[in-house]
Amino acid sequence: MNKNIIEIKNLIKLYDDGNTIALDNLNLEIKKGEFISIIGPSGSGKSTLLNMLGALDQADEGSINVAGYDLMEKKDFSHFRSKEIGFIFQLHNLIPNLTVSENVQIPMIHTYISDEDMVKRANNILESLNLSSKINQFPTKLSGGERQRVAIARALVNHPSIILADEPTGALDSKTGDVILDVLKKIHKAENVTLILVTHETYVADMADRTIEVRDGQITNSK
Amino acid sequence: MKYRNLILKNIFRNKARSSLAMIGIAIGIATILGLGLLTDGLSTSTEQALTAGAADFSVVSASSNGQGGGPGGFGGSQQLINETTVNKIAQISGVESVAGILRSSISDDSTNSTNNTDQQPSSSNSGQPSMTMPATVLGMDSKNLEMYDVKVTNGSTYSSANEVIIGKTAAESQNKTIGDTVTISNETFKIVGIYETGETMQDNGIIMSLSTLQNLTNNTGKVSSVLVKTADSSIANKTADTIESTYSDLSTSTSLSGIDRMNSGMDIIKSAVWGISILAIFIGGIIVVITMIKSVSERTREIGVLKAVGWTKKWVMVMIIGESLILALIASIVGILVGVGVVEILSLSNMLQFIQPTYSLTLFIKALGIGLLMGVIGGLYPAYRASRLAPTEALRYE
Ligand SMILES: Nc1ncnc2c1ncn2[C@@H]1O[C@H](COP(=O)(O)OP(=O)(O)OP(=O)(O)O)[C@@H](O)[C@H]1O
Ligand SMILES: [Mg+2]
Repeated sequence: MNKNIIEIKNLIKLYDDGNTIALDNLNLEIKKGEFISIIGPSGSGKSTLLNMLGALDQADEGSINVAGYDLMEKKDFSHFRSKEIGFIFQLHNLIPNLTVSENVQIPMIHTYISDEDMVKRANNILESLNLSSKINQFPTKLSGGERQRVAIARALVNHPSIILADEPTGALDSKTGDVILDVLKKIHKAENVTLILVTHETYVADMADRTIEVRDGQITNSK
Repeated sequence: MKYRNLILKNIFRNKARSSLAMIGIAIGIATILGLGLLTDGLSTSTEQALTAGAADFSVVSASSNGQGGGPGGFGGSQQLINETTVNKIAQISGVESVAGILRSSISDDSTNSTNNTDQQPSSSNSGQPSMTMPATVLGMDSKNLEMYDVKVTNGSTYSSANEVIIGKTAAESQNKTIGDTVTISNETFKIVGIYETGETMQDNGIIMSLSTLQNLTNNTGKVSSVLVKTADSSIANKTADTIESTYSDLSTSTSLSGIDRMNSGMDIIKSAVWGISILAIFIGGIIVVITMIKSVSERTREIGVLKAVGWTKKWVMVMIIGESLILALIASIVGILVGVGVVEILSLSNMLQFIQPTYSLTLFIKALGIGLLMGVIGGLYPAYRASRLAPTEALRYE
């Protein structure tokens, strides 16, 4: 049996000086290598949960442990994010004045990877995502699906143990979205990475090992 | 991709804005450098003009009532100084050179010219028509002319006892020119040169060798004042004090020295330049701050991504400061080139006739340093803001 890579107990996250309870005593355990889908109505706290998991923001109460890091500690978690987490957003958030390859290298700057290896690693991943012909293109020249694949490459390049994808197909048509989902599924299988995917589509959610439903900042259903 | 390449790419991302910022900084640096070149040039050229050979102060007898004395015939009111004293003054430390000068005034009417030293009564010379007008006759050795700020502009200086030079003003009013003669106290002298001091008053006279005038006025071994040039004009006042305290019968007058006047003039110019420079630095700094804040706020999402992929606050901060530093560096180099160019064009086109721009490494280093400082300080606040951006906020930003 795999160990838990994520353990959350009674997590509370408040916004607006406590007027908004985004996460309300949330409890969650996720095993290493699991593929989890998160569903729930708008405003229920899905993105907030993902932000807590990726240490982009800190919770107010409770405990959260991810990949051995206690994320309630008051410190800078940039190293944790660099090493353990790969984010994929609804919008690709690529840097427009950098080429596709350079965008993928961004997470490796400031790690001890040589310039040569950076380029090699970025281009290998891009190749595996069928983007070898686009390596030196600028993101503005790419289609929406291609851009999102570049964003996936950027999330993978540091070999994270967890991929956090917040509606990665939300801005894409269903055909392009399916290609992205296929890519993510393949990566999950091949790399034994923990994949947590927020989605609105039930058919997408059903691809996962387990689906978690969030309502009013709590997990109401897990199957 | 190297970090520094990313920084460089970011600078040239919004070319219009970066260029605008660079122009702003460059103008500031060009102003600072150009003004620096000119003020340095101004102060060296003025210093040269004033100090090249000119004396720093003069020494007169304490009991005399000022140089030139009263007109002769009323008894000498001016005490003369012995040349032995002149030699002693020359020994005082800090004194570079001394020059004894004998001054004699000529009172004149259309028929009679009477030449008096300030000590000698004029009786011996009366009744002889000699020349009209020149008010003063100075006796000094020709090698000392420079100390008195005398320049022979035409002809040559006197080299024998019967040769004199005449001031430009006197030459014009007397209608005298080189080769003409003048008669002073029954003696005829040949004009061998015309001199100028730059002061009309001083140019209304005749200069001959010291011994000639001493003989002419029966003042052998005497001078009416001593010009003193110090090794360094900054010690002029101190040296003058030393002389006064050593010789109670002598008093010094620094009125000869243009140094003080020039220095206070230069001080005013320098503080004006300083004020303009501060303004230029301030405006340049503001431009950097505005540019970088604009750039950071445009890239809020991007900075959120950088943090999401693991960049630390420090690296975000260094990136922004690096961008503004390189922006300022390029702008400073442009500014230096523009500053030198403008000053060179001005001086080549003879618009700055009297100022020769002075190039010094310190000035260039200063200009570059100010530019870089503008970049760092101007980038500091935007960088701090960028580093503090919460990644969640940054990613929500539309
Ligand atoms: N930075 C913030 N400041 C204030 N309130 C916030 C902030 N972030 C989230 N919230 C609030 O917290 C609650 C949960 O928001 P969250 O973004 O997690 O919802 P979500 O489930 O991701 O919704 P959606 O499906 O629309 O993306 C909402 O009520 C939201 O308004
Ligand atoms: Mg959301």
